[in-house]
Amino acid sequence: MAQILVVDDSSTVRNEVGDFLKANGLDVAFAVDGRDGLVKLKADPAVKLVVCDVNMPNMDGLTMAEKVRSELGNAGVHIIMLTTENSPAMKERGKAAGIKGWIVKPFKGDAVLATFKKLVA
Amino acid sequence: MRNDNDLVSKVLVLDSDPASYEKIKAFCEENNLVGLKVQPDNVMSVLRSNVDLGGILLSENYDGRAQGGIQLAQRINAIRSELPIFMRREGTASLDDLSPMECKCISAAYTLDDMRGLQDSIAEYIFSLSYPNVLVRGIAEITKAALESQFKGLQVDVAAPYIVRDRLIYGEIFTLIPIESSWCRGYMMLQTEEIALLELVKAERTHMSALEGFDFRNLNGVLGEVTNLVWGAFKNRYMSNAARSAHLSQVPIIINHLHRYISFGSDNPQLCFKYTLDDSAQEPARKLDIFQKFVFNLNWAPEDFTENLISVQDLVESGELDLF
Repeated sequence: MAQILVVDDSSTVRNEVGDFLKANGLDVAFAVDGRDGLVKLKADPAVKLVVCDVNMPNMDGLTMAEKVRSELGNAGVHIIMLTTENSPAMKERGKAAGIKGWIVKPFKGDAVLATFKKLVA
Repeated sequence: MRNDNDLVSKVLVLDSDPASYEKIKAFCEENNLVGLKVQPDNVMSVLRSNVDLGGILLSENYDGRAQGGIQLAQRINAIRSELPIFMRREGTASLDDLSPMECKCISAAYTLDDMRGLQDSIAEYIFSLSYPNVLVRGIAEITKAALESQFKGLQVDVAAPYIVRDRLIYGEIFTLIPIESSWCRGYMMLQTEEIALLELVKAERTHMSALEGFDFRNLNGVLGEVTNLVWGAFKNRYMSNAARSAHLSQVPIIINHLHRYISFGSDNPQLCFKYTLDDSAQEPARKLDIFQKFVFNLNWAPEDFTENLISVQDLVESGELDLF
């Protein structure tokens, strides 16, 4: 039962983020795109935080975030986007989808760890 | 078009006359050309190994043989027709006395007495596109930062950017991503060697484990994420959201694996950056060269180039969490 789901089509990012979170005592699961992320979330309702890329094949991260609310009806899970995107329009779309926050890559674990731990507590 | 910025281009200098050579060397220095001198016996092997050339300066009587240069031009043109050949002739800067087959292989001729013609030809064939200085510097800055985030504890050196007319692919791993904005349309490529990259993965210089590195798909992912980071930063800084024409053209990209050749359907030169990642602190020392190439084959309008203005409210440092 994972606390955090990391959703990114890049194995490098999944490794980087996952290794950091695990080294800091967190349980992590992984998905390779938005469609896979929805499947994993449905299968593991214990997940409290999703760290999700935007630009992914099959289903992008913002669409996934919208479907988490509309199709899974999961208002409880926190979603934070981890992406190269920095456009105000995308952030607005994310806010409308109920996401909790936005990180522009590259990932800096120390800057976000305390907040991540609070969100899964 | 004059090359008013710091861009250079590598040219092979095939000229065996010592007196001419000094003048050509001075010309190269004054015109942002990096001359590579080659022994006659090594010309074809050097051409096979150098994949990022801008052109060739070749003397008509190369290797002391009358018309030796013309014959060599035909051989070079057969394998590297993208490379413009500028021929030094005695007494005439015209190609009118040559046969059509010979003319086809030579872009322009010049004499030592008047190098202005060569200067114009270099501008036409090599430095035919103008790149805003702030863009060139920004690309190097963005990419260096992306590499430093993905390769742990390595020195990243950026060579002076240069213009390439070649169409050859460097190495075995190659990423390609569209670049689309109101002022430019084309592609960015990153190219590197698999074995050198694997060595850095094995040395745990990336976010990939040494074991995972043995699956080439994971190695692909390392270069893929660098590409993603560079593209994202480029998009944030330079791509506008201005409405673009709905009728966007496309042309096929053609790759010939046997010849390690890629074509974007145009004669446009490529803007090239070379990054060297140095792990000399380790024994044995490891080094990785990554070539980054931009080809704006679909649209290039540098007069419309702008940097995106970022308001203070929008300015969140990368890696920091912007909580809503």
